[in-house]
Amino acid sequence: MSETQQLSHDLKCMIIETLELEDITPEDIDDQAPLFGEGLGLDSIDALELGLALQKRYGIKLDAEAEDTRRHFESLAALQALVEERRVN
Amino acid sequence: MSYTSLIHAPWRAEPDNDTSMPDAWCQASELLPRVDAWRVWLEEQPKGRWLLFEPDPAAFTAALLALWETGRSAVLASDDRDETMTHLTQQVDGRIQGAPPPAASTPPPPLAIDAQTEAVVLYTSGSTGEPAMHAKSFEQLANELNCHAELWPMEHHAVISQVSHQHIYGLLTGILRPLCHGIPFCGADSRYPEPMAARLGEARATNRQPLLVSSPPQLSRLPEHIDWQSSAPWQVLSSGAPLSRADARRCEQLFQAPVIEIYGSTETGGIAWRRQSQSAAWQPMPGVETRETDGLLELRSPFLPREYQPPGRWWPQQDRIETCTEGFRLLGRADRVAKVAGKRISLTAIEGHLTQLSQVEAAHCCDLDRRDGRIGVVVALPGDQAPWDHEVRRQLIRQMREQLSTLLEAVAIPRYWRFVERIPTNRQGKLDRAEIQRLFADLDNERSARWLGESTNGEGQCCITLEVPERLCYLEGHFTDFPLVPGVVLVQWAVEHARRSFNEPVEFRGVERLKFQKVVRPGQRLVLSLTRKADSIGFSYDSPQGRHAAGRIRLAAERLNG
Repeated sequence: MSETQQLSHDLKCMIIETLELEDITPEDIDDQAPLFGEGLGLDSIDALELGLALQKRYGIKLDAEAEDTRRHFESLAALQALVEERRVN
Repeated sequence: MSYTSLIHAPWRAEPDNDTSMPDAWCQASELLPRVDAWRVWLEEQPKGRWLLFEPDPAAFTAALLALWETGRSAVLASDDRDETMTHLTQQVDGRIQGAPPPAASTPPPPLAIDAQTEAVVLYTSGSTGEPAMHAKSFEQLANELNCHAELWPMEHHAVISQVSHQHIYGLLTGILRPLCHGIPFCGADSRYPEPMAARLGEARATNRQPLLVSSPPQLSRLPEHIDWQSSAPWQVLSSGAPLSRADARRCEQLFQAPVIEIYGSTETGGIAWRRQSQSAAWQPMPGVETRETDGLLELRSPFLPREYQPPGRWWPQQDRIETCTEGFRLLGRADRVAKVAGKRISLTAIEGHLTQLSQVEAAHCCDLDRRDGRIGVVVALPGDQAPWDHEVRRQLIRQMREQLSTLLEAVAIPRYWRFVERIPTNRQGKLDRAEIQRLFADLDNERSARWLGESTNGEGQCCITLEVPERLCYLEGHFTDFPLVPGVVLVQWAVEHARRSFNEPVEFRGVERLKFQKVVRPGQRLVLSLTRKADSIGFSYDSPQGRHAAGRIRLAAERLNG
């Protein structure tokens, strides 16, 4: 697995574990599909949980700009771009 | 500006000092031109009840005040799903939204507030699932605001709200209280911790003491990497559901500020409050009387409508309590209403929606008391429609979630799904706590198969429906690209279930005639058949694909003789 593929897989596992998505496997998460609303069907409480998990695992501190935060959580690909750019560990 | 009662239109009072605040904040004095523009537009419109849904606090407040100053009342939708809006639009005289058109004339003088008239109409999920409507007069709102002002005075403060002002608690604490005190307030994007911290810093930078209006979903998920010491709130209010003791303690430590919880409901308004670091007991709000009758809370309150409070009449609640010297302790709900993210969710209503779906025979929702607060559901489907593998199950859940999403808010949609052929029951014919725990046990035990019911067909024979959880720990590395349940795990499960089903120790002495015919993959649904024989227990795992595995568990010699 390349580094990018590994990160994508790790992020999918992080989402599944953090949010206890028991009927979803990493293979079920499409990189481009929306995480919220339709797609994975996540909601605002999940966004808070993901924010915490990103900080814990990758040391990423989200911006004060909520619009930005929402953009990062749009899809797995967007989340991955955020982690690649901002991870500190 | 000192405190002015809502009845005297505090937003029209002259502000003491106009500190300018950054963009995210609003103050009454800045909103008045927008209020006036709305009033001009409303002159040509019907009177009565107007629908208002506006996430931005400034836009919301301007529209609300314009409705009030023109003798109208506001119907506050709790969400803006199409179904909610369509339903409410039929019951109101108009809808106010967006920005007012530029005023072509001078507005008439604002009408004085009549304390006895209706100010707002709110909706909650009733215990049966039918939305319950709650109208509030200006007097009711003012009584409650006066009470807050007495308990928690404010002067050089600023209010940051993380909760929706479309609900009573957010409306009172996040919008109306700052209006009565003439202080700046903000909301909307501050429901996320990072913007909230930025707002706290802004309040501190203008020498204001920030009051944080929050709720358990946010307070239980506060990130620790933010420097809360330099941008700490002066006080935190929490409502919607009780905070866990650990979360209350952690928040006070992080913020070095008191965390005050308010307990109440849309219908009753605030009932009691506590600071958990000092006492777990709830003290009634000033003016509210409480008592316990048959284990349930009853109250009299100046925040209830006048017609609810004839002399001698107590208003019953569905909260179980125990009284103590300081007040009372909450013990949980007596009805089938769960709180998810601080919202009242009727379990009966979700079940009702699910049983409307063609293939569903019965549904039972349960509050699993998990940290995440999410709801679980047990759904009975005809045997031939049970999902036998991962893909089918996932599609089924997705389809049901989609259908529910038009009827329910996102947080109310169950997260944990168990598909059964019939709802499991105890000997009294009820689905009790023990069965529910068994159905969801795999959530906390990554070694067990998911149990979905069992039947005993005659002496010594038992059929158990199982499912392989996708997160089963034995799948790790076995194999990375093609996860399979190891054969030894299937044998182990057979032994464990035999112990429980036959209610005997089952001393394992080996296994014979072992055959693994088909692989067992994550998400696979299986029927485990157990047959008790004199010296062994036969087992087999089957699915519509055929037989997956079978064998015989040899028992200890003493069992043989006994």
